[in-house]
Amino acid sequence: MLKLNKRQFLIGAAGLTAAAAMPWSAGAAGRKIMVFASTVDIPNFDPHVATGYAPQWLFRNTYDALVRVVGNPPEPAPGLAKSWSHSEDGLTYTFELDENAKFHDGSPVTAKDVEYSFARLLRLQKGPAWMVEGILDETSVKASGEMTVTMSLKKPFAPLLSVLPWMFVVNSTLVEENLGSDDGQGWLLANVAGSGAFKMGRARPGDLYQLVRVEDDWHKGGNIEGAIWKIVREAATTRMMLQRGEVHFALDLFAEDMDAIKDIPGVARIMEPDYRSFSIKMNTAKGPLADKNLRKAISYAYNYQSMLDAAGPAELMSGPLPTGMFGHDPDLAIYRQDMAKAKEYLAQSEHKDGGFTLTMMHAAGYENQRRWCMIMLESLKALNIGLDIRPMVWPDIVAMARSPETMTDLYSIFQSANYADPDNTAFAGYHSSRNGQWQNPVYSNPEVDKLIEDARAEGDPAKRATLYRKFQEVVIDDAPDIFGVLELRKFAMRDNVQDYAFCPVAANTMEVWPLSLA
Amino acid sequence: MLLFVLRRLVLVVPILIGLTLLLFVVARLLPGDPVGLAAGPNATPELIASLRQEFGLDQPLPIQYWTYLTGLVTGDWGMSVFTRRPVFEDVLTYLPATLELVFAALIIAVVVGIPLGLLTAVYRNGVLDYATRTLALGGIAMPRFFLGLLLQLAFAAWLDILPLSGRYPLIEIPPETVTGFYTVDALIAGDWYALRIALAHLALPAIAMALSPLATIMRMMRASTIEVLQQDYVMTERALGLSNRLILFKYVLKNAMTSTLTVIGLYVSWMLGGTVLVETVFDWPGLGLYATQAILTQDFMPVIGVTLVIAIIYLFTMLVVDVLYGVFNPKVRYA
Repeated sequence: MLKLNKRQFLIGAAGLTAAAAMPWSAGAAGRKIMVFASTVDIPNFDPHVATGYAPQWLFRNTYDALVRVVGNPPEPAPGLAKSWSHSEDGLTYTFELDENAKFHDGSPVTAKDVEYSFARLLRLQKGPAWMVEGILDETSVKASGEMTVTMSLKKPFAPLLSVLPWMFVVNSTLVEENLGSDDGQGWLLANVAGSGAFKMGRARPGDLYQLVRVEDDWHKGGNIEGAIWKIVREAATTRMMLQRGEVHFALDLFAEDMDAIKDIPGVARIMEPDYRSFSIKMNTAKGPLADKNLRKAISYAYNYQSMLDAAGPAELMSGPLPTGMFGHDPDLAIYRQDMAKAKEYLAQSEHKDGGFTLTMMHAAGYENQRRWCMIMLESLKALNIGLDIRPMVWPDIVAMARSPETMTDLYSIFQSANYADPDNTAFAGYHSSRNGQWQNPVYSNPEVDKLIEDARAEGDPAKRATLYRKFQEVVIDDAPDIFGVLELRKFAMRDNVQDYAFCPVAANTMEVWPLSLA
Repeated sequence: MLLFVLRRLVLVVPILIGLTLLLFVVARLLPGDPVGLAAGPNATPELIASLRQEFGLDQPLPIQYWTYLTGLVTGDWGMSVFTRRPVFEDVLTYLPATLELVFAALIIAVVVGIPLGLLTAVYRNGVLDYATRTLALGGIAMPRFFLGLLLQLAFAAWLDILPLSGRYPLIEIPPETVTGFYTVDALIAGDWYALRIALAHLALPAIAMALSPLATIMRMMRASTIEVLQQDYVMTERALGLSNRLILFKYVLKNAMTSTLTVIGLYVSWMLGGTVLVETVFDWPGLGLYATQAILTQDFMPVIGVTLVIAIIYLFTMLVVDVLYGVFNPKVRYA
């Protein structure tokens, strides 16, 4: 056994301490590895199962879809499909695949793989399958040639090219080899079978995921050799990592973080309007707020200016659709604080004297949501209505949204657009088939349903815009929500990142391969 | 003593069964819907129902509990609804990081705290005593996460002599896993560079975690040493002409250690349960972060699994402490 006298021990201890304090990142310099800091984990690698922005980032970089989405305003761009066309009636789409596309194992991406992927996605009915619910089924996508795919829609669906970027193609041979008893779900949970620019490197759940650029990658662009998705929970740590150049993108920053980093050299702040909206939903099916006049009274009583002041960099919404999105009408007659009108509508309601208390929920830990609840408390006082504010954790919110009975009178939510089309917000937030989900727990109006269905089937942009204008008018008149604010998308990047262009759809799940590091 | 240890080990079993029962019931009584959450915002009721069936959550509670209990024995600690991974595997992945941090903090607290406690007792009301008293007050009063942020600011952001966060540089590969302790694995691999890097990353979080136990151990040691120094036998030893060093290290230290040992034992579990804040600030991928994620998503099985691991470690720590009483004080008899 090693025996040390006191002097040897002290010298050893001092040596270790000195060694520990020596430079500790010798091997880091010079490599083109881009690091993203996020608070969110990637629990599942299956592109036909997982949802959420962190998995989406993984899929966009390890898999390919037929079509990509790029630019501002967002436009469809070639992905696996180098070109496409559709029939007059909008029911048949034909895609020609890029001959250069190949999977990580070197095999070419063929129409058979595309057919297999869509069949699997629509069989499992998980992940992004909801986007084409009622539009495509397991048999709708067929390989009509070696490199030609034909998609037969059950009914016309104008946003098809907007949803395709989220439907990724898997290597059918590889998945078949690892099928198991669950359609390959167990295997794809922790393995990648894609054709994307990167393959999976290290995966340390809860800590980091490393992607490695595929040798002889068929995507041409950028100089990035690898990418790391690093999970950092504490905003102060993220800021310091950004300051030291240890991360290139910090994705989950709040307004106060953006203020704190504004003078840091080498850091560029990105604050752009995107389609992420915040609104206050009302229980239109049960309780006092089933009364439309009361909802209108509250819509007029709410102090929108205070809400905007509390929000930081943001703008007020004007109606249910995000500003700037196709179909949004900036000239709609919207609610702004007007106490005379609020009292007028209150007088027409069944609760004209007030004297009751409403319940309002906000997501625990979200300071802005708490502030907006306090503004609601103040606003309702003027109508002699009390407010019981309850912070809830996310699982409770999901459970609460299940039925009119469990839903609180008011509740505040953020909603992001998954694809660049008004159908996303309209269908998820206002179509009655979504009742029971947190985006639309209870609101139901057959006229709104019809308008949404007609608009998603309409191929003529001018007619679609008219339908969406009508949709917005009806929803505003129904006042199911307090239409709140559009917060600017806030994140930061190091200034040695090159070729980055903001896209308001899925802005924080950027494709890495077109980027470069100086 | 063997009989004593065996009896204590047997007693661990009903304690753990009681604990799992309590956790199981409380977790299920909480409102919320982890399956609905895990299924995502656009899941159909059929999908949610099938997930519920997959995780056995459609079964009556007693059957769920029995399945869980029998699974525990075979190493099946259930599945996480959120990550879809076996809880036992997850716990094994995250535990070494936490244990490495806790042990490092404990070593700092004990190696610095005990000698300082002894010295301040011997030279009480001196400069050292006053200085350490201030340190102790600060150490106990200051929240660990705040201390962590201060340390980061000073040693990482300003002086730039230690890494900011994490266990290892992001783009470098840590030593090959044998124990999961990067420092030990680096030693096993004979990789001095990796050892240096792992120690550098360990330094700040371990100090942040160690300060409060260090302060308590030091004050406890000081108090018990003062008490022991006033005992008649110490006076007798002095009268016999034994050297101060001999009296202090051979006789006083052992007697003063008994109560300090209890505090050290309690701090092991305190640190295990309380790593979450330090792990969050230093982005240390350990059990605390795993448990936080599980709590926020009401993922029952990981929460129960983590609590169970902490309970097991706590029970064994207390057993070790009880055994050590006898080493320091031969008067202690194991019955």
